Amino acid sequence: MGKFILKKCLMIIPMLFIISVLVFFAIRMTKADPVSWLIPADVVVSEENMEALRARYGLDAPLYVQYFRWIGNILRGDFGKSIVGGTSVATIIARSLPATFELAFGALIISSVIGITLGVLSAIHQNGPVDYIGRFIAVLGTSMPQFFFGIIMIQIFAIKLGWLPIGGRTDPSVVTFWDRAKYLILPTLTMSIAMISTLLKYSRNSMLEVLNKDYIKTARMKGISEKRVYITHALRNALRPVMVIIIFRLPLLIGGSVVIESVFSWPGISTQIVGATTSGDYPVIMVTTLLIAATILVSSVLLDIITALLDPRVRLGKE
Amino acid sequence: MEKKQITSSLWKRNLRKFFNNKLAVLGLAIMLVILFCCIAAPLITDYLPNAINLKELTQAPQSGHLFGTDKQGRDVFSRVLYGGRTSILIGVISSLMGSFIGVALGAIAGYFGGIIDAILVRISEIFSTFPQLILILVLVSIIGPGVFSLIVIFGVTGWMTTFRMIRTEFITLREETYVQVARAFGMSKRTIMFREILPNAFSPVIAATTINVAGFILSEAGLSFIGLGVPSGTPTWGNILNAAKGVDVITNFWWLWLIPGIVLSLFILGVNFVGDGLRDVLDPKQL
Repeated sequence: MGKFILKKCLMIIPMLFIISVLVFFAIRMTKADPVSWLIPADVVVSEENMEALRARYGLDAPLYVQYFRWIGNILRGDFGKSIVGGTSVATIIARSLPATFELAFGALIISSVIGITLGVLSAIHQNGPVDYIGRFIAVLGTSMPQFFFGIIMIQIFAIKLGWLPIGGRTDPSVVTFWDRAKYLILPTLTMSIAMISTLLKYSRNSMLEVLNKDYIKTARMKGISEKRVYITHALRNALRPVMVIIIFRLPLLIGGSVVIESVFSWPGISTQIVGATTSGDYPVIMVTTLLIAATILVSSVLLDIITALLDPRVRLGKE
Repeated sequence: MEKKQITSSLWKRNLRKFFNNKLAVLGLAIMLVILFCCIAAPLITDYLPNAINLKELTQAPQSGHLFGTDKQGRDVFSRVLYGGRTSILIGVISSLMGSFIGVALGAIAGYFGGIIDAILVRISEIFSTFPQLILILVLVSIIGPGVFSLIVIFGVTGWMTTFRMIRTEFITLREETYVQVARAFGMSKRTIMFREILPNAFSPVIAATTINVAGFILSEAGLSFIGLGVPSGTPTWGNILNAAKGVDVITNFWWLWLIPGIVLSLFILGVNFVGDGLRDVLDPKQL
């Protein structure tokens, strides 16, 4: 087992290396000269000055030298500076990442609670009203663009009813917990909808499968109350695969926040990436992408390890 | 001759099974109606999607303008129809391209196994651990926005599902007797892979490709909504919905976002129902 974990962890290093090379070269191989982003379009600059500028940013060295300089700096904790605002990339990330995490965790909690509850109830009352409501929500979640759902929520709860703010994360008058929380409700709810439908389908199927197992029949034959059959016997076994899905979803939620952050003008990391993409702010794009890739890679390795710990078949069957 | 009869009766059985699925038929109907209206757009509406009419700005839906007009006085009904053409085209072509890449790589990985398989699986893992939208953003920043680049980007980022499907099928099928007989006959590897094994591994791919069409149309809408998809000169469902980024539009001009959003959602719903129906018929192993 220790060997298995060690092997999995060691795999992260070459994967991260490959991803960093890909990110760096993909972004730097574009035709556009990074220096040209620094100069307003209407200013004429002599070739000499351009060279000087390039030398100042270390852009005159061969690409591979630049790569090692860049990755070396990152390993030492120096993430570079944004070429648009001049702020250090570390500051940008420190400012925006917590906002995205807040959103992702909120969505994860809401969607787990609603998705699993509805999924389990749909399985218990198969073809009953709850099952139909569940199916309807699942269809809605997979067919509606998230931003469209978000706009509808804004129209109803922020504009028509005026209960919740239209967007943003906070305002200067914030004092109580509720003041902060009300900014979070609409974006997290919107973000949850797609995941609720995934979790709902998954936990419904998993529960149905378990309910057909022999040990459930045995438990029923022993005369245990239906409630206890569901809670102590079925639920525990049905939810194990669902848990794996939930952990696996967190990184996807961070990536999926791009559109949500845009709809609700949420100042998260995706907003930064989109902004950097439109303005060609390559130091920001490179570091943020690398960071997200690293997070996802690490969490998927953790997921593999957790799955293996939970289920010896995975460990012994494949590796 | 006899073989043909068997396949045709299998076809008939599958068709009957598909048409017995009420949701799938409903989905097919919705999908075809919207698709037909988009293709026949010039016959259905006289307005051009980009024709600006400053006399009729932000008119609510009425008899002349079924879905109203937008802030430049363009007819929303016409924009939704013409926009659907581009959106559906992007979805279909990208999905076909993704499946093509996935099938080709999956066949190679599954058939040859060993080191080639290991490398291809690693690559697909790297692609699928990246959140797709982030990957797309990076690629958009490299090759720039546009219909063509979106198709390329979606194709390149959307091949992993079919890859996995075909690979697993090939791993089981390559040990079958008929494949070994083909090998003993000295057939070329390419013939064995694509003529002998592939037809037996292909049916799950059809359902997956259909469902991917829906996914890519949604991705296009999302990207165009945040302004990184198709440039605003070409109408697409995402570009039309982009108007709803302003709070004034959400508050005052509901027809500019609600109607296009509903049409888009209905189409996706239809495609998903059809895809689920196809999966029930063609790929009974999947849930």
